[in-house]
Amino acid sequence: MRRIVLVSLAILFAIVVIVLPVAAIFTRAFAEGLGVWAQAVTEPETLAALRLTVLTALIVLPINIVFGLCAAWAIARFRFPGRRALLVLIEVPFAISPIVAGLCFLLIYGAYGPVGGALQPYGVQLMFNLTGIVLVSLFVTCPFVMREVLPVLAVSGEDEERAALTLGASGWQIFRFVTFPNITWALVYGAILATARAIGEFGAVSVVSGAIRGQTMTLPLQIELLYNDYNTTGAFAAATVLALLALVTLVLRGLVSVFHPARGAAP
Amino acid sequence: MSLEIDRVSKSFDGAASVLEEVSLDVADGEFLALLGPSGSGKTTLLNVISGLIRPDAGRLCLDGRDITDQAAGARRFGMVFQSYALFRHMSVAQNVGFGLRVLPRSERPSRAARRARVAELLGLIEMEDLADRYPAQLSGGQQQRVAMARALAISPRLLLLDEPFSALDAQVRRSLRGSVRDLQRKVGVTAILVTHDQAEAFEIADRVAVMNAGRIEQLGTPDDLRSRPATPFVKDFVEQG
Repeated sequence: MRRIVLVSLAILFAIVVIVLPVAAIFTRAFAEGLGVWAQAVTEPETLAALRLTVLTALIVLPINIVFGLCAAWAIARFRFPGRRALLVLIEVPFAISPIVAGLCFLLIYGAYGPVGGALQPYGVQLMFNLTGIVLVSLFVTCPFVMREVLPVLAVSGEDEERAALTLGASGWQIFRFVTFPNITWALVYGAILATARAIGEFGAVSVVSGAIRGQTMTLPLQIELLYNDYNTTGAFAAATVLALLALVTLVLRGLVSVFHPARGAAP
Repeated sequence: MSLEIDRVSKSFDGAASVLEEVSLDVADGEFLALLGPSGSGKTTLLNVISGLIRPDAGRLCLDGRDITDQAAGARRFGMVFQSYALFRHMSVAQNVGFGLRVLPRSERPSRAARRARVAELLGLIEMEDLADRYPAQLSGGQQQRVAMARALAISPRLLLLDEPFSALDAQVRRSLRGSVRDLQRKVGVTAILVTHDQAEAFEIADRVAVMNAGRIEQLGTPDDLRSRPATPFVKDFVEQG
């Protein structure tokens, strides 16, 4: 009896909170037929927004991976002053509201901020363009990779690395052959989460994007713009694209758990 | 190879020293045991020998050549860790062949030669049929033997064993002691074993260095230690075991 209640509650919750809204996006987007949807999606502005979103994610991803790996490695393997501070600092993006983060970036890197102001005479503009969008996306997504990799790195491998060292492996060989295979899956997982977040980010990006139509609008911003223009079909059509991108990352996530080597090789 | 340890000292973070001017000579082909309770400095001494820890003072000489400043990898000492530290994602054969695979291109044997060497070592530990297994699929005793083979694969100039039997149950431990000793003789490598188990040290080693509080209390053959303990500590420790 108790089990039935629990399971039904869980299912009901999932339907009300997750399934219905997502289903609503697709029903509304296709309400006027596939042709209208296709037309709305291939709208130049929407396509530009999609391109910008994917471009941003592609720039942010490798930087995230490198930084996350370095930070996790440093924290797991070395004792240095400021180690605990770094550990806390790296979580800040989770705690700060994205819109506040956007404002902070604007204050520092904007034309009237210390950094932005100093660069302006040289014709370098950081905000209201791709650079600004990439910067805030980095801020918002930087904890993901480290958060996934660090626990794996912390519990495993130090002895293996020492063994590799005594066997004559160089620092790079130790990373390539011993450390990296142990953390691959955590790394992939963190990268997927970071990418999903980068694609969907609204608050921080809305502050620094400058909202130039067809140029600095990412997909989430474009959806809001269309909606505010009473272009409901266009908004929902664009939303389906964003939802599909999210679904792709979800499927990737699922694949990672399916193909994660569960055989005896990995604990 | 003979090893000469000359007044090696080490302390961590300014605390009381873990090693105090330890001197010790290990003869070519000898099997030497460092015996002592936990905290006596025996593992630190082994790590200094391996190059994983830098001594604060003192010298290490291998066949008369100073190796104090040589990096761990360059020393070519085979080491068997207490946890075995096998590479989890590599098969038994890949584990054993690792030391050959990471050699610089100019010194690296061909793939076929490497495979032959791995097969030879697996024969030595009688595990030819388990070459494709992963460490998690092996028993503790098998893992220990793979760790031995991996350390021997690089034709080590010195074999270092850090409590290699402590993770095994008593019966396996006893049978493996003999096989480790046999292997060391067969290969003819000088070996240093760290252990807190008096019976183990006395059974395997030619000579035993009893350590206490960062110093060597006495160095001698098992018979010496039993019949002529130099200090009350040695007497106690030997009788206890």
